[in-house]
Amino acid sequence: MDHGVNIHEELIARCKAGDRDAHFRLYKLYSKAMYNVGLRITHSEEEAEDVLQEAFINAFRNIDSYRGDATFGAWLKRIVVNKAINAVNRKKHDPIPDDDRWDVAEEEPVGEYGEGLTVERVKRCIEELPDGYRMVLSLYLLEGYDHQEIAEIMGITESTSKSQLNRAKAKLRELLTKKS
Amino acid sequence: MKDRLEEFIRNNRESFDDKEPGEKVWTGIDASLGLRRTSVWNSVALWRAAAVIFMVLCGYLLIPKTSGTSIAKDNSSAEFDDVEAYYFRQISEKVEMIDEFQKSEGLNGFTHDFQQLEAMYMVLKEEMKTSPSQKVKDALVLNLLVRIDLLNQQLHKLEKEYKKDNYQEPKEST
Repeated sequence: MDHGVNIHEELIARCKAGDRDAHFRLYKLYSKAMYNVGLRITHSEEEAEDVLQEAFINAFRNIDSYRGDATFGAWLKRIVVNKAINAVNRKKHDPIPDDDRWDVAEEEPVGEYGEGLTVERVKRCIEELPDGYRMVLSLYLLEGYDHQEIAEIMGITESTSKSQLNRAKAKLRELLTKKS
Repeated sequence: MKDRLEEFIRNNRESFDDKEPGEKVWTGIDASLGLRRTSVWNSVALWRAAAVIFMVLCGYLLIPKTSGTSIAKDNSSAEFDDVEAYYFRQISEKVEMIDEFQKSEGLNGFTHDFQQLEAMYMVLKEEMKTSPSQKVKDALVLNLLVRIDLLNQQLHKLEKEYKKDNYQEPKEST
């Protein structure tokens, strides 16, 4: 998903020098992936666009502080994720369900997934998850963060992150088996 | 502990990034970074030309329009005389101020430009007499405006120099 650390070194250097064209090229390279990251977390196109815009402005303004120790994509993604989570928290999302309704074993259910798995179906079902579940599940399964990172990003403990992921997966499976 | 669902998502990871952001996102980023465009847009001359065009448009909007097309010709030349007189007044005021500032200085780049514009104006004025048209009139007004713009710049420059020398700042009339 991410390329070698300094793949866009030259482009980034030009950005640091204030080259507008370089900014645009870097934006074009990363905007789509970053937009989808924001979209999965915020669950709103409008909000995801705001997040994307803010994140890029923030990244470009602070590009001097990007030292190349992570890939640019990973650095940028972290900014996007933080902004998206803030956006969700700002509008007072439905709190992470605390009950045990979806507390289930980690094992794969025996049942089949309705008509089988398609990206479209999985996406639709992820979108239906409550905010907290959707965020943890997206961060883990799609953005590739581990529980330690998710705990840090979301301000929760690692064990909460783990249990939230399990619940989120269970709920997702439930939606997928139910839905055709 | 991999399961089928997790595996499916990981194998199809790319397909999950299918939405595109709108154009306005970049527009917003671009605007708030305020980065300069290419060197063409950097050129002062271009911005000045844009300013002049803007001023010409404003000039026309501000000139009181006389109605009636039958006497349009008479009116328009009378109107132009008014405009000309107005701009001449401004120009001579500014020239006086500049003269006061730089009595000691000889012919420099500024006065050279200015004299060329004056010469061009005379040629255009002749053209206006022989074959009057809106185009010539536009060119005349543009010439006047460019001269005023030049004068303003020169005044501004001189003012700054004098300020540096702690000289009492002269007032600019507009």
